Amino acid sequence: MRRSGSDSSGPHIELKIQSHPANLAPTRKAIEDFGGQCGFGEEDRGQIGLCVNEALANVIRHAYGGATDRPIVIEARYGHEVLRISIRDWGSGVMPQDCSPEQHDPRVPGGLGLICMRRMMDTVSFSPQPDGMLLEMSRKRRPVAPAASARSDGA
Amino acid sequence: MSEFDTGSGIVSSARTSGDTLFASVSGEVDLNNSPELRGTMLDLVARNRPHKLVLDLAGVPYMDSSAIAVLVELLRRLGKGGQVILTNLQPRVRGLLEIARLDSIFVLAKNEQEATDKG
Repeated sequence: MRRSGSDSSGPHIELKIQSHPANLAPTRKAIEDFGGQCGFGEEDRGQIGLCVNEALANVIRHAYGGATDRPIVIEARYGHEVLRISIRDWGSGVMPQDCSPEQHDPRVPGGLGLICMRRMMDTVSFSPQPDGMLLEMSRKRRPVAPAASARSDGA
Repeated sequence: MSEFDTGSGIVSSARTSGDTLFASVSGEVDLNNSPELRGTMLDLVARNRPHKLVLDLAGVPYMDSSAIAVLVELLRRLGKGGQVILTNLQPRVRGLLEIARLDSIFVLAKNEQEATDKG
C-alpha cells in the first residue's frame, strides 16, 4: 500500500509492504522518485535508494529470518532540506552488528549494507521497539551540480 | 572456444577461452535475483574450472550487497591465484564496489580487451 501527500511539515510518502525480496526494487525506486521530487540529484537519489534497499534486505534476512509475508512500513518525509526515512519492522528486534568501514574485510561477505548506510546517509539510528525495530536515517539535500550540457563555456 | 546456453535470464551469455570464463550479466541484481546469479555462476565455475573469470556488467545498472557477496564467493571458488575481472561498470555499480573496497580484490577493466591485457 502506498500513500503520499504533503502537509504542514512537508511532502511525505508511506509504503506498507510485505517482506518479500520482489518488493525491494519497487520500494527503492519509489523512494528514489520521492527524492527526485524533493530536489535530490541523481547520484544522491541512487545512494539513498541503495541504503533503503540494504535496510530492507537486512530486515528480510535478519529481523524476519527470510520470511516473505511479514509487514514493513517505510516512511519518507522531506522538510528543511532534509530527507528523513524511517523503516519499521516487527521482527527479532536485534541490533545489527556494526563494523567500521576500516575494519570491514572486503573478502568476507556481510555487514556491507550497514557500511553503505553509515557512509551515504548523514544520520542512521536503530531504536529497538517492544515488538521489533525502528530504523531512522536522514540525508541533507546538497546542491546539484549543473549538467555539463547546461554550462556556459564562456567562449 | 566453447559457448554455453546458461538457461538463465540474468547470465545472458557465457563462453570459455583457455582458462578464462567470460560471462555477461543483465539487469538489476538485488536480493530477489542474486540467488539465481549465484546458482548459475557457481555451476559454470564448477563445470569449467576456470582460473580467470571475466564478468561483463554493461547490462547491470544496479546491484546491491547480495550481488557483491556472490562476486566475493566466486573469487573464492576460483581458488588460489584466481582472478575475477569486472568490465564495463556502470557508475552506480562502480560506486558500490569502491565503498565496499572491492576494487582492491577484483580487477576492474574498461572492456574485454583491457581485461585480457590486464589478466
